[in-house]
Amino acid sequence: MDAKAAPQKLARPTSHKRNRDMLAISPTTDVLLNILMIACCLLTLFPLYVVIISSITSESALTANGYRLWPEEFSTLAYTFLFAQGSIVVTAYKNTILSTLAGTAISVLMVAFYAYPLSRDNFKFRGFFTFYAFFTMLFGGGLVAYYMVTRQILQIQNTLWALFLPSAFSPFWVIVMRTFYKANVPNEIIESARIDGAGEWRVLFEIVMPLAIPGLATVALFSAIGIWNNFFNCLLLVDEAKYYSLQFTIYTTLNNIRFLLENADKMQGVVNVGDLPSQTFRMAMAVVTVGPIIFAYPFFQRYFIRGLTIGAIKG
Amino acid sequence: MSAEATSPSTVISPKKSRWNRDKIYSNLSYLTMVLPGAIWLFLFAYLPMPGIIMAFKTYKLARPPADYWIQNKFIYSLINSPWVGLDNFKYLILPSNLSTTLMYIRNTVLYNLLFMVVGLIFSVALAVIIYELTNQFLAKLYHSIFFLPFFVSWIVVAYVVYALANSTGIINSSLASIGIAPLEVYKEKAYWPFIFLLANLWKYTGNGSIIYLATITGVDRELYEAAAMDGAGKWKQFTHITFPHLVPVIVLLQILAVGRIFGSDFDMFYTLPGGAALVKDVTYTLDVFVYNMLRSNLPLGYPAAASFVQSVIGFILILVTNYIVRKTRPELALF
Repeated sequence: MDAKAAPQKLARPTSHKRNRDMLAISPTTDVLLNILMIACCLLTLFPLYVVIISSITSESALTANGYRLWPEEFSTLAYTFLFAQGSIVVTAYKNTILSTLAGTAISVLMVAFYAYPLSRDNFKFRGFFTFYAFFTMLFGGGLVAYYMVTRQILQIQNTLWALFLPSAFSPFWVIVMRTFYKANVPNEIIESARIDGAGEWRVLFEIVMPLAIPGLATVALFSAIGIWNNFFNCLLLVDEAKYYSLQFTIYTTLNNIRFLLENADKMQGVVNVGDLPSQTFRMAMAVVTVGPIIFAYPFFQRYFIRGLTIGAIKG
Repeated sequence: MSAEATSPSTVISPKKSRWNRDKIYSNLSYLTMVLPGAIWLFLFAYLPMPGIIMAFKTYKLARPPADYWIQNKFIYSLINSPWVGLDNFKYLILPSNLSTTLMYIRNTVLYNLLFMVVGLIFSVALAVIIYELTNQFLAKLYHSIFFLPFFVSWIVVAYVVYALANSTGIINSSLASIGIAPLEVYKEKAYWPFIFLLANLWKYTGNGSIIYLATITGVDRELYEAAAMDGAGKWKQFTHITFPHLVPVIVLLQILAVGRIFGSDFDMFYTLPGGAALVKDVTYTLDVFVYNMLRSNLPLGYPAAASFVQSVIGFILILVTNYIVRKTRPELALF
């Protein structure tokens, strides 16, 4: 893409207010667009609202009245039950928190390290290592070979590593960060630090990375979401319940329930439908699965749109 | 991606200057920086690549003899399994399998095209609307809300779909209260393309529009002012100014999307129907097909053959698309 056009203009988002009058849409259009946006926002939030509100409805109210937009009777019993007596959810929660923290830290560092030399003109092997990373975005060995390599050569199956190591690096974010460094870390600062006798690693840690925090926060956010929400690593590489991730655990639960209910007529006497985890319990599971990662959003938001756009536009 | 050659920073350190101690030292530091990532790429991306030959072999797992150069069952078996030519591919097009294979290819390609086109329209429309709104605070708030579903995993989406659409779910209890027969979502094929499209739009539109919004924000305001003075309305401004500025980003993203046209969002296609057998004709994609074969008792050559088709055709398609783009608009090509 165009390498030179964007960065200075992006840096002043408020200044286009200046000529807003002449280019502004008509008040009627503005009102109509706002109404449209509000409607779409409500539609977007509706599914999440349903899940949250039914998780705090009492089971009896849910059974008697079905789903309501505002429950007649609240109850947090599902959550109490969920975290009681070391259930599978607690184990899965621990595994997922640990692997998200470890995986995010590793991937931010590896991406930050890999991208920096690629942004430097005096790195002799820049072309080679750019291609080395970029090529993996275009071609891969396929699922079967990947499955055999991770299980038979790397042998990470049935460990916590399996939950985050396969997602701990990303050539895409390397390309974004490389561009981000180029746009945001002036070469003069790096050169002058070097004249003062700082080595490359010191320049990276003390000058380049602090200046690149919006970009690095973006990488951190996306890899945290990626690992927290990851289902496939666990599906492919974990067979032992003590290493199950949160997503995998709740998927298995949902699927078992669905299978039993759909086939309830054929299984008379084998399964008592009343023994299945209740509706509220299931919804509470979905809520605790989304919870922590949503809280990460405001924390990162101040950085990430800037980080994402500058890196991507110029890339 | 073509930035290196023209980067402004080249001016300061002349490129082909003499090698001195400083330079060798910094290149060594640079090499230690790329090392962790390079090792990861080798292990998780390059190491599986030779495994692609499994598609042309009857893979038999065997223990290497004690004097073999590498004591790894997989590598030994990969090298020593017999070649069978195209036999594995023939399995996929046996008369009994041909129709399902074609069906999964059709699903994969059509869903991808659908998401590419509809996703593009919605993301660009959202970016333009957000940009045009007069109240910047509200615009930001809307955008934050649209971005929220990006944080929600496909598994939770599967819960939501189930809560809304199961036989006693919200939709069906509402329909029942007005006397309409329930929708049997997990038994009826016709609903699934809509469910996938809606779920896909719900999850990705907010995120997809970020890059377009950033591009529009970067367009020089004076262009719009000049156009407005010449009497161009909003639509004309869009087609003549905004859209041409979006073309490079759109082309870049679409080239990458074409390369993934035989891939799919595995989590979505696998977890939303949750293996409901009655709808698999419209919910299975090649990824799901390969995964299910891999986990079945079939010889590994069969999924390897399907997976080979995905990798190699995807790669060829991306090269061809890029070639066509380079011939027509060289500045937009990916490489």
